[in-house]
Amino acid sequence: MEPVLKIEHLTKVYPDGTVALSNTSFDVHPGEFVVVIGSSGAGKSTLLRCINLLVEPTEGDVIFKGEKVNQSKSKQVKHIRREIGMVFQNFNLIDRLSVLNNVLHGRLGYTNTIKGSLGIFNKKDIKEAEAILERVGLKQQKYKRADELSGGQMQRVGISRALAQMPRLILADEPIASLDPASSKNIMDHIYNICQEDQLTAIVNLHQVDVALKYATRIIGMQHGQIIFDGHPSQLSDKVIDEIYDTKKPPLVNAQ
Amino acid sequence: MSQQIGKEKQNIYPLVSSDKEDIAKPKGDRFLKIIVICGVLLFVFSLYQLNIDYTNLWVGTIEFFTMLGEMFPPDFSEWQYVIPAAIESLQVAILGTVIAVVISLVLAFLAAENITTNKLFARTIKGFATLMRVIPTIVWALIFIVAVGLGPLPGVLAIAIHSLGMLIKVFAQSVEEMDGGKIEALKAAGANWFQIIAQGVIPTVFTALLSWTILRLEIDIGESTILGLVGAGGIGWELTRAMRTYDFNSALFITIVIFVMIFSVEMISNRLKLKV
Amino acid sequence: MGEIKDIRKTKRLQTIVILVFVCGLTVWSAIGTDFSFYEVFSGIGLISNFVFLDLLPPDVSASNSLLDAILETLYMGFVGMVIGAGIALVLSFLAASTTTPHPVIQVVVRAFTSIIRNIPGLIWALILVASYGIGVTVGTLSLILGSIGFLTRVFADTLEEIDTGKIEALHATGSNYFQILAQGVFPQFLPGFVAWSLYNLELNIRASTIIGMVGGGGIGFAIQKGIKLFQYKEVSMAIILVLILILSTEFLTSKIRERII
Repeated sequence: MEPVLKIEHLTKVYPDGTVALSNTSFDVHPGEFVVVIGSSGAGKSTLLRCINLLVEPTEGDVIFKGEKVNQSKSKQVKHIRREIGMVFQNFNLIDRLSVLNNVLHGRLGYTNTIKGSLGIFNKKDIKEAEAILERVGLKQQKYKRADELSGGQMQRVGISRALAQMPRLILADEPIASLDPASSKNIMDHIYNICQEDQLTAIVNLHQVDVALKYATRIIGMQHGQIIFDGHPSQLSDKVIDEIYDTKKPPLVNAQ
Repeated sequence: MSQQIGKEKQNIYPLVSSDKEDIAKPKGDRFLKIIVICGVLLFVFSLYQLNIDYTNLWVGTIEFFTMLGEMFPPDFSEWQYVIPAAIESLQVAILGTVIAVVISLVLAFLAAENITTNKLFARTIKGFATLMRVIPTIVWALIFIVAVGLGPLPGVLAIAIHSLGMLIKVFAQSVEEMDGGKIEALKAAGANWFQIIAQGVIPTVFTALLSWTILRLEIDIGESTILGLVGAGGIGWELTRAMRTYDFNSALFITIVIFVMIFSVEMISNRLKLKV
Repeated sequence: MGEIKDIRKTKRLQTIVILVFVCGLTVWSAIGTDFSFYEVFSGIGLISNFVFLDLLPPDVSASNSLLDAILETLYMGFVGMVIGAGIALVLSFLAASTTTPHPVIQVVVRAFTSIIRNIPGLIWALILVASYGIGVTVGTLSLILGSIGFLTRVFADTLEEIDTGKIEALHATGSNYFQILAQGVFPQFLPGFVAWSLYNLELNIRASTIIGMVGGGGIGFAIQKGIKLFQYKEVSMAIILVLILILSTEFLTSKIRERII
């Protein structure tokens, strides 16, 4: 099967000299549920943001559905972004707007400038947004202000916003890092089940290994901006986990 | 808590649930709507009442830009009068602010509700502070000019009085916002009123008082430049004189001096704020 | 131990230097302005004479004609705030580093509003009188200028404090510049916009009472006229009206602010 996303020799060096990603390559096939693990600062967030060009890669290519994302014009970039839904650690909802309005923000990429700016969406979009909210169990809350919700509910709105884009690919950047254990499980269940039902591909950043093992169909381990493990969860040995999370030890593999 | 979690779990994909029922769309914020409508009405009414002569507005605008053109180049020739006047404005502001700070330091501690010795006394001081603060500096200047004559003195007094009103209010507020436990601890240790203020209150609110003082000095330097317009000395008088004699080139020079004064004070106080 | 003592010593030295500097400035100012306590104390008699004999009691019968003047002051302040806030809204989006379309535009707008802001409103009024003549036009225009200067700066600062994560989230949905401004930035900016505009209304009401003194109309003009004609009891009545207007605006705006935010 043709991969939905190809990452080729991706490198990102920030202006202050920090190397966040160095020469990273991997392919993602449709239907995969990829979990990226690694300690903070390993380059997980940068990797995700390079995929939808929220961060401009320094070198290398991101190829989404056969198109080079990083060489597209700004209008094309917006079209590509529409097909990639993103879920954030801090939910990033607009506090003072209603839940429904926040979900409809997922449709802005499909709406013209003036209507989108004024917050006028067509009936079909509103129906769809309501259906998505019903799916995540928030239909009753649709007219509430986003800042009236609990953390778990806010993240469900965040997921709904991503779904409203009708995406091919979901990127989730530490979606449960700001939540309590019960809501975390709930959110991971939602993301996983929705991806299964809608046959979406997902790349999820996590730093809890146990959660990763539970949901992932494939795990990528990162350290210092490089991929040091890429395989099925069953292949992830304790030794590898130690290596991913222990930044002080010199890498044993390269010691020869 | 556990019940709630149970409920959330069930709600992941509700097959048949009360969730099917649609809820009514709320009407939105009534209060905000009323305020906006009142605001628009008041705006239209005000504009109507002001009865602005729009032909004059048009003609005047053309004249204004012509005048701006005539102002160039600025005429620096009278610098030997303008610069001392600017310095005088600066001195008026500094002296007025210092007087206000010194007096308000005493009165603010008496006016703060949490450490005052007498509540009635505190209210009275606050009442006077409001009166001093609400009457604009330039009106104070007019009153003092009538009483003590023209010159920098009425300017100093006007700035001192108006600043005093504001400083008492904000100093007392800073003291009132202070954590009551600290005062209690000193009281428990047997400290008297002066000791509590010197050892407990002043160290706690010092930075707040300092930043208010800097802000006030900044405002006062702005105000001292305009006091001359009514005859209370300083650079404002030079500007009035230049405008009255249609000496626009000098007027531009004086305006530039005023701009530089206020602008550099803003820059310096921004720096100081970062340090505090 | 020695190091700690050294630090304390330099700290103490710093405090002394600053104190001496402030005292020096004060003395220099006192000399420069010919300030003498003798004059102030001998003036107290004159001032209290003036206040209690000439100013008080206020002439209530003058309140009718003064009412028109104070309303004019209110109208000027309000119109100045609304128009100023509208213009400042546009300018602040150009002046904030988070929303500006181009850094050069940002610098130009910031410089322009800095010039407007750092020249006092009364001086703007003085300059405007020369081209528009005495009247409310001058008062309103200089209040608009003052509002633009103040509000553009505080609006831009508010815009720069906005949570960039939320803006990133909208970028990720494929929204364009204007959609992000309207749907992501503006809702976050709204409470600050309302609060600062209301505060600006307070500032404008204060300013419009004095702008009249150089020919901007309103109650300031009445105060100035009263003093020139030695009608001091009318002046004190005008001052009382100013007090009422300022205090009631402060009261009203604080109530509205509480409800909206």
